[in-house]
Amino acid sequence: MDKLGNWIKPLLQPLLALAAGLAVGAVAILIVGGSVTETYAEMWKGAFGNFYFITNTLARATPIILIGLGVALAFRAGFFNMGSEGQMVLGALSAAITAIHLPGPGWLKLIGAIVAGMLAGGIWSAFAGWLDAKYRMNLLITTLLLNYIATYFAGYIVTYPLKDTTGSAAMAQTVMLDKSAWLPKLFQGYSLHAGFLLAMLGTILLYLFMKHTVKGYEIRMLGGNPLFASYGGVQRGKLMFLSMFVSGGLAGLAGSVEVLGTQYRYLDGALTSPGYAWSGIMATLLAGSNPIGTAVAAILIAALQTGGMGMERNTDVPLEVSSIIQSVLILFVSAKLTYSFIKRKKAGAKNGPAV
Amino acid sequence: MLLQMEGITKSYGNVTANRNVSFNLRKGEIHALVGENGAGKTTLMRILYGMESQTSGEIKLGGKPVSFGSPTDAIRHGIGMVHQHFMLFPSFTVAENIVIGREPSRAIGFDRKAAAEETTRLAKRFGMPVDPWKRVGECSLGVQQRVEILKVLYQGAEIIILDEPTGVLTPIEVKELLAAIKELARQGKSFILISHKLGEIMEVADRITVLRDGEVTGTVNASDTGEEQLSRMMVGRELVQLGRSAAALGEKVLEAKGLTVRGSKTKPLLDGVSLNVKAGEIVGIAGISGNGQSELLQVLAGLLQPDEGTVELSGQDVTGASVQRIRGAGLAHIPEDRYLWGVSKEADVTENGIMGHTGRLSKNGILRRGKARSMVAEWVERFGVKTGSLDTKAQHLSGGNLQKLIVARELAQQSPFLIAAEPTRGVDVGAMEIIHAELLSKRDRQGAILLVSSELTEVLKLSDRILVMFEGRIAGELTAEEATEEKISLLMAGGKAVG
Repeated sequence: MDKLGNWIKPLLQPLLALAAGLAVGAVAILIVGGSVTETYAEMWKGAFGNFYFITNTLARATPIILIGLGVALAFRAGFFNMGSEGQMVLGALSAAITAIHLPGPGWLKLIGAIVAGMLAGGIWSAFAGWLDAKYRMNLLITTLLLNYIATYFAGYIVTYPLKDTTGSAAMAQTVMLDKSAWLPKLFQGYSLHAGFLLAMLGTILLYLFMKHTVKGYEIRMLGGNPLFASYGGVQRGKLMFLSMFVSGGLAGLAGSVEVLGTQYRYLDGALTSPGYAWSGIMATLLAGSNPIGTAVAAILIAALQTGGMGMERNTDVPLEVSSIIQSVLILFVSAKLTYSFIKRKKAGAKNGPAV
Repeated sequence: MLLQMEGITKSYGNVTANRNVSFNLRKGEIHALVGENGAGKTTLMRILYGMESQTSGEIKLGGKPVSFGSPTDAIRHGIGMVHQHFMLFPSFTVAENIVIGREPSRAIGFDRKAAAEETTRLAKRFGMPVDPWKRVGECSLGVQQRVEILKVLYQGAEIIILDEPTGVLTPIEVKELLAAIKELARQGKSFILISHKLGEIMEVADRITVLRDGEVTGTVNASDTGEEQLSRMMVGRELVQLGRSAAALGEKVLEAKGLTVRGSKTKPLLDGVSLNVKAGEIVGIAGISGNGQSELLQVLAGLLQPDEGTVELSGQDVTGASVQRIRGAGLAHIPEDRYLWGVSKEADVTENGIMGHTGRLSKNGILRRGKARSMVAEWVERFGVKTGSLDTKAQHLSGGNLQKLIVARELAQQSPFLIAAEPTRGVDVGAMEIIHAELLSKRDRQGAILLVSSELTEVLKLSDRILVMFEGRIAGELTAEEATEEKISLLMAGGKAVG
């Protein structure tokens, strides 16, 4: 009974949020004069209708899952890492540069690029942690602002020093990576690449880490009640570095697999305009920072996005309906967030988890 | 009969919190409700106060059946409740807190002056003096309690439920409160008093109803019973009287010198405190809370940096060291405020139990969950922690049961030095007996214990040596033989030791 309850409970709220989202979406569809059933059927087809669409959805979900995992880890430790976007962008740029310039065989370039991407994301994130530890700068604010520095810096790099001058298109991007360093596609002719397997692996590893290791335990206790953790001898500073580093590293990995598996180059704006980072944060919040739940929520959000495109192709209902559904999801999440924030404020705790 | 609760049963799933409980109250009576943690006292009162509804059974008020859908309903019927944790707005004045919800108004808006006058009138009538203009946050806990009681009186309560009203009060404040209750009862108000403290109950109650495991074990007149009989009824067996043998004193385990914490006020919070605890000795610290005890404990436990002074534990200098190092040098710590420091409410019983034990329970950084569970399961068994399972979240355990878990966790450290701060706060008689016995047995095994308690009886019962703190200093030291409640009370209030 208790066990079953433990499984169902974390799923209940996301499902409720989704149901509310679909209900509000239905109203929007009716207002624009579409048929609810037909529109949702098209949406479903666009997301999961056939093998092509399914793989397409999973490919879109890949960076969202990885970012969501990173955010989940930081949240669990009680740290608001809102800097996934910048960490992802720096990770992607570092991966691209490494894959282009690292000498050696393709597999070495590939692994080197992934490591470099994770390191870059991790260091950028840990830097915000250092600012907090050293100067008491609020993490929420620093991580948010560091996003701008990272994206504009990356934009500059590919607009001037490392701009691709080989092609005719005047795009702000690096040259294309050597084919030997590409992440393999999982199925010939479909967009889904091996990065998805890394995301699945990351999900399982993070789940096991949180549940079965001493560090995972300490992270959860630190997030649950920082005073209890310090009373028990848990070292906040060290754990903050660790969790922020890994959190940023996962965002960096998200950027790396997008470069190595989908874009094959760093293209300015290719990672920021689809809003992967914010979708990832949303997935985490929906799932209450549970790693497996985060992966499921990430696929769901990706499905809403790919499904929305399918809906727009085949009906007169505009893409915005899909955005409405996502907005309602966010609304639910923020209500929950505000509630726990108020609860924490009442409890007088300085930091700790919002979810 | 003013109030009758008949055959009340309350079940949550397959757990029965109250089984066929009958309880009644006469006008002008003080009726105490006692029982161990989880015996169902609070559930019964929550039903009466409209916070829960019974599964079966009937409530009659003045002979008429009633049912309350909410506390507002209960208040309308003249039932008021003063909770264990005060529900006041610290930044509002006493008068504002009292009239809240039914503010006197003038043309438009709130009539502050009328509120203050009303408060003074009430305070006078019921013999509970308060300053209506003072902010509640600046009042002592005793005064805050008075404000809570005046608030329910203002709301027109005829029946007042007091849940553990003396838990946070100083001995003098307790005396005042008990006198006030008696006076109010004389004026015709009726009280239901929930308490663990049998001494206080015997002093004020007319009748006493004992609950055990959700059932009534008896209702007795206070004049026909005694503390021992009540304990038996609560626990269901005889309590063993603890004998205290003087253990052989060993080396100094803890030695603190000149500890000073300045804080932000002009007066230091901790002012040059020196003390030592030897192996095989319990040193008790008595004092009204807020006289530097918390700061002292936090410094010793590594949670607060002293501005001056040194701490030596097991021969190592641990001044300003990390908690990890101090614990490594031999500290276990039952914290003063269990919710603030002692647990993570969102985490389950096992997770809360293994804090500080992860080193022994892991291999290469991997937690051995099976081992952890069996360790915690054994504590739960031995200390009688009432919990659904090891996976139950801490927030669902009652305060007393959580305390037992914390005590078990810290005793299991087998450390040379133990800080026991308020080790039995909110804990029932049976568990108190277990905890006291465990502390004494640790002492007999050459453990060094620093006991801090606002319960004088506890300090007197367990300590070999007693230090009294007043305004951040050690105001005096007494041996177990020379210590009496009077001498300590005097020192606690800032007086000089006599004799």
